[in-house]
Amino acid sequence: MKLQVKFSVYNAITKIIIILVLGAIILFSLDKIAYNQLDNRLLKKKNKIIENLNTDEIDSLLNEQQSFTDYNILKEEFIILTRIPDHQRDSAAKIFTEKREIEGDIEVYRILNYKFLYRANWYNLEIGETMTALESIKNSIRFYMLIVLVVALLITLLTDYVFSNFLLKPFYLIIDKKINRVDDPSHYNYENIPTNTDDFKILDNSVNSLMRKINTLFALEKQFIANVSHELLTPISILSTRFENMLNTLGIPAEHEHKIYSSLKTLNRLKVIINSLLLISKVENNQYLKTERISLKQELNDIYEDLEDRIADKNINFSTHLKEDFNFMGNKALTHTLLFNIINNAIKYNVEAGSLSINDKFDHQKYILTISDTGSGMNKELVENAFDRFKRGNTEENGFGLGLAIVQSIAKFHKIEVDIQSEEGKGTNISLIF
Amino acid sequence: MNVLIVEDEKSLALEMDEFLSKEGFIVEHAWKKSSAEEKIFVNNYDFVLLDLGLPDGDGFEVLKQLKSLKNRDDAIIILTARGAIDDRIKGLDEGADDYLPKPFSLNELLARMHAIIRRKHKLEKNEVNVHDFLLNIQNRTVTFGEERLNLTKKEFEIFNYLVLNKNRVVSRMSLTEHVWGDILEVNSDSNFVDVHVKNLRKKLMAVSPTNWFETVRSIGYRINC
Repeated sequence: MKLQVKFSVYNAITKIIIILVLGAIILFSLDKIAYNQLDNRLLKKKNKIIENLNTDEIDSLLNEQQSFTDYNILKEEFIILTRIPDHQRDSAAKIFTEKREIEGDIEVYRILNYKFLYRANWYNLEIGETMTALESIKNSIRFYMLIVLVVALLITLLTDYVFSNFLLKPFYLIIDKKINRVDDPSHYNYENIPTNTDDFKILDNSVNSLMRKINTLFALEKQFIANVSHELLTPISILSTRFENMLNTLGIPAEHEHKIYSSLKTLNRLKVIINSLLLISKVENNQYLKTERISLKQELNDIYEDLEDRIADKNINFSTHLKEDFNFMGNKALTHTLLFNIINNAIKYNVEAGSLSINDKFDHQKYILTISDTGSGMNKELVENAFDRFKRGNTEENGFGLGLAIVQSIAKFHKIEVDIQSEEGKGTNISLIF
Repeated sequence: MNVLIVEDEKSLALEMDEFLSKEGFIVEHAWKKSSAEEKIFVNNYDFVLLDLGLPDGDGFEVLKQLKSLKNRDDAIIILTARGAIDDRIKGLDEGADDYLPKPFSLNELLARMHAIIRRKHKLEKNEVNVHDFLLNIQNRTVTFGEERLNLTKKEFEIFNYLVLNKNRVVSRMSLTEHVWGDILEVNSDSNFVDVHVKNLRKKLMAVSPTNWFETVRSIGYRINC
C-alpha cells in the first residue's frame, strides 16, 4: 500500500474515532443535562404547588372533588393531585420516565410523584412533562452529527491525499529520476531535486554520494579490465607471432612442425578464454552501447550464412518459421554473438540428419524466440548449471565452457530472459524472451 | 614497400619484422612515441603499424601528428591489446585505416595490408588466376572458363585467404579468425573450418583436379601455385 494511502486512511480513521467519541460524549451529556434541567423544573413546580396548597382555588377543589387534574392544550404538561388512603409514609419525591395516555394520546413523560399529608389527608401529587421535545432535539443532533461526520471524512480524505501528494512529490521524483536510473551510472544526473523538506534533501544527497561511489568502482573496474587486457594479451601476442614465424620456416622436421602447431593451438585457447572473460566483464561494466536497431530476421539470416556448410555437412534440417519481423534496440555485435553461440551449440550437439527449427510467438505482450534442436539434450543438473562458466556438458565435444556464460551476460545486458528446456536424448529448446 | 613498426615490445616487433621482411617489405622500427614522431616527420611510409600503449605517451598522439602533415597518405593500422570499443571508434575516427586487436595472426595482418593496398591503388588486379580458376575479388566470384562456381560466402572467403597466402601454410585458427572474425566459441572447434574447406574442395574438384590444394597434416591448408 502506498504511503499516501496509508497516511490518508490513518488520518480518516482517527478523525472518525474523534468525531464519534465527541458525538457520544455530547449526546450523553446532553441527556444528562436535559434530564437534570427537567427534573429541577419538576421539583420547582412541586415546591410551588405545595406552597400554594393554601390558596383558595386548590383548597376548594380538593375539598369538593378529592382529586385535581390539569394539563395544557398540547398535553405537554400535567398535574394530577389525588387523595389516597391514609397511613402512607412521607417519602421523598420520586422522578421517573413513563408512558401515559391522556385523552387518547400516548406520550412519554418525565413524572414526579410525591405523597404528602395535608390537613390530615394523604395526597398523591404527580407532575409530568413531555420528553418529546428532548427526543426530537436528540434526534436532530444525531442526524447533524452524522452529516458532519461524513462531510468531515470526505474533506479530510481529499485534503490529506492532495497534501501528502504534494509533500511526497520530491520523494517520487528522487525514485524516478535517480534510483531507477542506476543502470547507467555514467549518465547520472547529480542535480538536486527541488524540495525544502530536510528529509528528502538528505535522501537526495545520500543517493548522489552512493552514485559517485558506484561510478568510481565502475571506473576502477574498467581500468582493471584495460590493464589485464594489455598485460596478459601482449605476451600471448609475442608467442603467437613467434610460433607463426617458426611454422613458416622451410625444412622443419614434421614432428617439430607439429609441436609448434600444438603450442600455437594452446596459445590460441588461452587467448580465447581471456577474451571471453574480458567480454563478459566489459558487458557487465557497461562498456557497450545499445543504440542500434536490430532485426532478428536479418541476424538469423547472417548466422545461417556463417554456418551453412556445417549445417549441410551434418545433414541438419534447418528451418525458420518467423511470423514477426521483430526488431529492438541493442548492440549488433553482441546480439550476433549471442545468437551465434546458441545456434552453434544446437548444431554441435545435434545428431546426424537431426533438425534445428527457429520459431517465434507473442505471449502476454512479450516476444519469444525459440531455437529447438534434436540434439543429445541435457539432464536436469546440466540445465541448472548450463550458465556456469567452464562447465561443459558432453566433454567429448570441443569448447571452452564459456559460450552460454557469454550468452547469459549479453542477454542480461539487453534485458532478455533466457529459458532452457531440455530432455536428455531428445533435444533442447532455448527460448529468448524479450 | 616500407613499413614503420611503432611497438615498444621488442620481441613482438622483431617477430613482425621477420615476417614482413620475408614478404618483401622494408621494415623500420620506432620504440617510443618521440622516435616515432621524428621518423614520421622525416620519411614517407606505405604503412605505419601503431601500438597505442607506448612508454612515453599515447599512440593516438602519433596518429594525430601524422594526420596533420600535408600531402601524406601513409596507411595506418592500429595494433593494440586495449581493444575497447571506444579505442577502436576513436582510432578510426582519427583517421586510422584499420584496427587489429592483439594478439593477431601475422597472416591476418598481411591480409589487411593487402586490402588497404588494393583500396589505395585501385588495383587493376581484381582477378587472380589459380590453376585456371579465376577469382574475381570485386565480385566475389570464382569462375572456371565459362562456368561460374556456386560457392557460399564463407567458401569464397576461405579460398581468397588461402590464395592470398599462397605457398604458405595457413593454420586452421588463422583461417577461422579471418573468415569468421572474433567469434570466440568458434575458435575452440578444431574441425569447424574443415567442413567448410571440404565443401569448397568438393566444388572445385567437380570442375578440375585440385592436387595443388593441400591439407598440411593436422595444421591447416596450403595452396601451391
